[in-house]
Amino acid sequence: MAVVEMKRIHVYALKNNRKKILEMLQRRAAVEVSFPKGTDEELGKGPFAQTDTASARQTFEKNAQLINSAVEVLDTYASFNKPMLAMLEGRKGIGVREYDETAKGAPELNKTASRISALGKRITDQQAEIARLEAQIDALKPWMGLDVSMRTIGTGSTSVFIGSFPEELTEGTIKTRIAESAPEIEGVEVEVVSTQPQQTCVFVVCLGKYGIKLEAALRGMGFTYPAAPSKTAPPDRVKELRERIKKAGEEIESAKQEIMSYAEKREELLFTADYYTMRADKYQVLGELWQSRHVFYLTGYIDASEADGLKQALEQKYDALVELETPSEDEELPIKLKNGFFGAPVEGVLEGYSLPGKWEVDPSKVMCVFYYVLFGMMLSDAAYGFLISLACGIVLLKFKNIEEGLRKTMRMFFFCGISTMFWGVMFGSYFGDAIPVITRTFFGSEINVPPLWFAPLDDPMRLMLFSFLLGIIHLFAGLAMQIYQLCRRGKYLDALYDSGFWYMLVGGLIIALVGSDMFKDMMNLDLPIPSVVITIALVLAAIGAVGIIATSGRESRGFKRLLKGLYGLYGVSSWLSDILSYSRLLALGLATGVIAQVFNMLGTMAGGGIIGAVLFILVFVIGHVLNLLINLLGAYVHTNRLQYVEFFGKFYEGGGRKFEPFAANTKHFKITEE
Amino acid sequence: MENFDLNALGVVFDWDALGVVFALLGAVLAALMGGIGSAIGVGMTGQAAAGVVTEDPSKFGKVLILQLLPGTQGIYGLLIGFVTLTQIGILGGEAPTTLAKGLLYLAACLPMAIVGMVSAKWQAKASVSSISLVAKKPDQFGKSMIFPAMVETYAVLALLISILSITSIASL
Repeated sequence: MAVVEMKRIHVYALKNNRKKILEMLQRRAAVEVSFPKGTDEELGKGPFAQTDTASARQTFEKNAQLINSAVEVLDTYASFNKPMLAMLEGRKGIGVREYDETAKGAPELNKTASRISALGKRITDQQAEIARLEAQIDALKPWMGLDVSMRTIGTGSTSVFIGSFPEELTEGTIKTRIAESAPEIEGVEVEVVSTQPQQTCVFVVCLGKYGIKLEAALRGMGFTYPAAPSKTAPPDRVKELRERIKKAGEEIESAKQEIMSYAEKREELLFTADYYTMRADKYQVLGELWQSRHVFYLTGYIDASEADGLKQALEQKYDALVELETPSEDEELPIKLKNGFFGAPVEGVLEGYSLPGKWEVDPSKVMCVFYYVLFGMMLSDAAYGFLISLACGIVLLKFKNIEEGLRKTMRMFFFCGISTMFWGVMFGSYFGDAIPVITRTFFGSEINVPPLWFAPLDDPMRLMLFSFLLGIIHLFAGLAMQIYQLCRRGKYLDALYDSGFWYMLVGGLIIALVGSDMFKDMMNLDLPIPSVVITIALVLAAIGAVGIIATSGRESRGFKRLLKGLYGLYGVSSWLSDILSYSRLLALGLATGVIAQVFNMLGTMAGGGIIGAVLFILVFVIGHVLNLLINLLGAYVHTNRLQYVEFFGKFYEGGGRKFEPFAANTKHFKITEE
Repeated sequence: MENFDLNALGVVFDWDALGVVFALLGAVLAALMGGIGSAIGVGMTGQAAAGVVTEDPSKFGKVLILQLLPGTQGIYGLLIGFVTLTQIGILGGEAPTTLAKGLLYLAACLPMAIVGMVSAKWQAKASVSSISLVAKKPDQFGKSMIFPAMVETYAVLALLISILSITSIASL
């Protein structure tokens, strides 16, 4: 239960050390810069002022963006062998000296990035151009038989019409139709350039004096001029267009070549992008500082355990004046969690809900035990658990530089895997019933691995009771957390009212129920509970109930208080549903085992022998991978649910703000202190 | 009419032979309706998830989990179907010898069949909303999983009743 203690740190230093101090703070990532409310009024009166750094910050952000998009272009056209598990490798470490060197090269690389972006843009432009030209060629295809310009309108004594009809026509039909609609026109010559089902392209010529009449006649037949007539003869035009396509293609090729020549700069580019991101962050902080002519002042929160080290470093290296202060009670402190080997992995799950609020403790340590146990029970197969632990173990051992968050997740699943193995052995499930099935089908004699405890499918009732028992323990642990939280604030009476009475009521009712005849009949289970104990339990439950009625409406008065008290007692129904909710442990555990059995059975359908073995292996691998994935998902979601809804429901609200120190939020590299 | 004997008329019908038919009907219904519900549900969530991935491919992992949530009812249905088959003499156990027993199996399968189908569809609706939640606020993923998981509780409860009944019918 460790929410890290925070201190407020005040740093006063000379401005000529400002850059170095800020860079050191950024590398150490220890301080969340935050000026308390009202600083403006206080400091604004003196010689101190804040500088506006917004425009500089924007420039840096723009640069980082430019470089990132340049790298994207680079990745599209130059191939890199990205390792499959790149995600696991984490960011590459870089020393301070290397950082300074690359910082010098940044403007140069910025230019390279603009060049790459420009090349990328040129490629897309040319690709669009090619598409446009090809569309033009397509439009000219029906006219390829024409060897004069499509804009020809005639000679001194003739009129020429080049265009198309919206139907399939022959020369004869066209001539007949012209003669029908305008019999006075003589000497019409029609040449069909091409025909298609929906279009006939024609070249029509007649004496100049009939020109206008002929046009009217043609229009009557649906004649239209082409939308984009080419000046030169279509074949020549197409040739010219192809030439232009070729040229555009060459340009794309040369742009690609040039982009590829920058391939080796990829790393440097990424680093520079990080560099600009870091500077943008730094300028953000710079804008928050209060500065006079020679001095600047910075304040914020720091992890108390790191405070002294930083204080020393600042004072000795940079002659700064550092003050540490314990924050006052009413300040909203940022939350940083610190847990040990077992507890830390579930911090991510906790964060997925909400960080502890002001008066709350960090439940990770209590939660992790239940998390592993519940997860294991839901998956409950020794072989699956082994596979999960093995995979996570290998990743943890092999990728030492893995990002912290991912490492915690891996460790969480490692422990979950171990717990799954444990429950698998208890329930005798190894890839479901693979061992007896394989030995029976392929080796003739069945070998059974008996469960250490019992097989859930043989006695589901027993497992259900055990699930409820676990649930009750889980929920009572939640109540205990509530008591702890309230006592820590000195609210002992509240602890009794809000948790103590519930212990009495629910605990008493459960003991009375277990001792009742109904329960014995239902579960075939005879727990020898003496009747005195049952009486005591019932009395306790009654005291609890009366206590709840009397106290849960304690902030109201009179009749309202009684109503609120009765409503509080109604909360016992939510306890019932909370406990029933743990039956999912049984359901999900059975689901894993039964689906595994189904796949094993499917695999043995071809019997023994070689063909049978091949089929079995195929079905076995595919089936169990599928089953593992689906049930892993189910176990994860439902373990989270039991924690969030049932467990947290008893004591935890959250609402804390995450500690976000001034740090290098880089994507590709991390700067290490030398 | 008091001594009326149906068999004397030559109308001999062994009603008890129908026991296994109804038992199998139950098993099949559980797998069938659970499967239908989940197929509808996963289809709905898949559409929403694909929409999110078009905008931001990096959210694939998260929306995939949300897509799969309404898929469990199909699995529970299969589970009930399979366990029933192992009890009624098709994959093991003994065939029900009376009509009543067969009907008992059918009744035992119904909670899973009906609740499975309906809850899968409604869980899918919650899941679709959660997918849009994750699209807008990826950091709220932890909470977004819980809303669909709430609906699943009732599928789990139905599964529980079905399985407890099925495993106890043989000893009645």
